[in-house]
Amino acid sequence: MTSWIRLAAPAALVSTIVPPAYAVQYLSIAQAQKQAFPSATSFAQVDARSWKAQSGGTVLGLFVVDHVIGKHLYIDYSVALDPAGRIKRVDILQYRESYGGEVRDASWLAQFVGKSGASAMKVDQDIRNISGATLSSHHVTEGVKRILAAYGNRVR
Amino acid sequence: MGTASDRLRRARPLLGTFVEIAVAHAAQDVMEAAVEDAFDAIARVHRRMSFHDPASDVSRLNNHAADGAVTVDPWTFQVLEAAVELHRRTAGAFDVGVAPVLQKMGLLPGPKSARPPGPLAATVDDPIELLPGSRVRFRERCVAIDLGGIAKGFAVDRALDVLREHRLLHGLVNAGGDLAVFGSEPESVFIRHPLDPHYLIGHVQVANEALATSGDCLDLFEPPSVACRAIIDPRTQEPPRAIAGVSVRAPNCLMADVLTKVVMIQGEDSAVLLDHYHASAFVVSTSGEIRLTPGWVGGEYLAA
Repeated sequence: MTSWIRLAAPAALVSTIVPPAYAVQYLSIAQAQKQAFPSATSFAQVDARSWKAQSGGTVLGLFVVDHVIGKHLYIDYSVALDPAGRIKRVDILQYRESYGGEVRDASWLAQFVGKSGASAMKVDQDIRNISGATLSSHHVTEGVKRILAAYGNRVR
Repeated sequence: MGTASDRLRRARPLLGTFVEIAVAHAAQDVMEAAVEDAFDAIARVHRRMSFHDPASDVSRLNNHAADGAVTVDPWTFQVLEAAVELHRRTAGAFDVGVAPVLQKMGLLPGPKSARPPGPLAATVDDPIELLPGSRVRFRERCVAIDLGGIAKGFAVDRALDVLREHRLLHGLVNAGGDLAVFGSEPESVFIRHPLDPHYLIGHVQVANEALATSGDCLDLFEPPSVACRAIIDPRTQEPPRAIAGVSVRAPNCLMADVLTKVVMIQGEDSAVLLDHYHASAFVVSTSGEIRLTPGWVGGEYLAA
């Protein structure tokens, strides 16, 4: 029977160091517009956060950017609506977790014991993947509903 | 390592979380097309297996499968086949029929149609009947399923299949912490501290395998006190007490996803099952102690 390996008890939370901010830029607004409406020849700005996607004289749909902000979380996302005002796609443009007291140097990595290459990593670039309790996308879903209510009948 | 231009990383809100797909080492248009198709696969799982969408297979089953067989998407059928098998192998510790308990606890919205008074959970051992032609029938009226503990892993596996079919050399799919990687390049994955999500507790290299983590639900918009326990022991109908968080590495993400719940509930007794599925586990107790199975290699941990 497999026996479990017990590690030394980890340091108390108060003495551990908060990781640096976790931030990913997925798409710029221009990239997201192009992906949502590949055949568009122009994007005419309608208001501060929306653009009409056009090809010649034809309206292909509406592209809207929005963000949701929490205590530790900042997410930019875009919603593409088709001419009938239905959701065509939703993309995350930027995702950022931050914890105020950001640690810029790599010393917190030295806390990890074991055998792998983490100690040689560059802090800001190399935290790319995190596994943990599932992060809810509820706030973005609510935001998409608000956009649909505000812009759904304004596409044409 | 490739240059920035031969890598692509995209994210969309799906499956109730943020799903991220990263690929590398192919032409930009090839990668764009592959990632688009992979998100389509995730969206199909989302549509069919959502508990909340009244048109999903899960809702149709919960509303009608006690009255007669309901035909479902072959993918839903595949997930149910795996769920039934794992329910048997875990002596009931993994149970997709736990939905009525979650509803009673307010962790899932209540049933749309009024349920007749009766037992909260099924009284027979095999309440889900799988029939030829992707048809499913429930043997008891009180049965309601929630695939939240298995569908995310299945979705990650399907998305990874799509990336492979596009002949990419490297790919990662991360559905809110349940992730899988293929290709020659290992991905570096940090594990969130289950006792405080603002900290990281471990780090592991993942290559050609899956990693899933379970613990309290996490809402970075709200203070931690609002977080709920999303895992319920079907046998006691209570959240497990001793374990704060579990990460499991397994050959595929469906298995990793399911096994995190089983380890959460069974604790060290799950070692035989982990071995059986070629899986390994990283467990954090509610007192902050870390335990691993010997198969968990190549990692680093936060320790005093």
